[in-house]
Amino acid sequence: MKSLIAIVGGVLFSIGLVISGMINPNKVIGFLDIFGNWDYALAFVMGGAVIVNLILFPFILKKKPLCDETHHLPSNKQVDKKLIIGSALFGIGWGLVGICPGPGIVNLVTFDTKALAFVGAMIVGMFAYRFLESK
Amino acid sequence: MGVVLLGGFLVGLGTRIGSGCTSGHGVCGLPRKSLRSLSATAIFMAFGIITVFIMRLV
Repeated sequence: MKSLIAIVGGVLFSIGLVISGMINPNKVIGFLDIFGNWDYALAFVMGGAVIVNLILFPFILKKKPLCDETHHLPSNKQVDKKLIIGSALFGIGWGLVGICPGPGIVNLVTFDTKALAFVGAMIVGMFAYRFLESK
Repeated sequence: MGVVLLGGFLVGLGTRIGSGCTSGHGVCGLPRKSLRSLSATAIFMAFGIITVFIMRLV
């Protein structure tokens, strides 16, 4: 049951990313290019998703989850140095390639060399964090 | 290709250090009215915009 719901959620999410154009690096770079030839369409994707969740989250969070005893929400409330540095690095990487983790994984199905290289480098980056943290 | 590898590495590293990406902070954190997610979204948008601006120049 848990896996089935995970698959349905993943499929729905990836369809959204494909239809909206979030998997297209040129589209994303156009969205970030506010000082150049700005393509603001993707603002409606994030805006739309945020509005839907703003309405639904209060109802969802009040109920017991389908596949677990409780909801697992982040407890950290501090805007700390880690959050700022991490988000800045993420933003630079996102601006360089125009791909963030979700669309990166969706693009794997194309078996395109760049798509594979991106996710490979992303996994290396994630392991690099583990290495930094252990020091 | 070098840019793709560098960008991928920074996306992976930054997502772990900053505890989230566009989906985590943007799509899930903002509707929870999380100050951390609002800060993270503002920061990665700003750095993404600056990076694209610089890449257009070089």
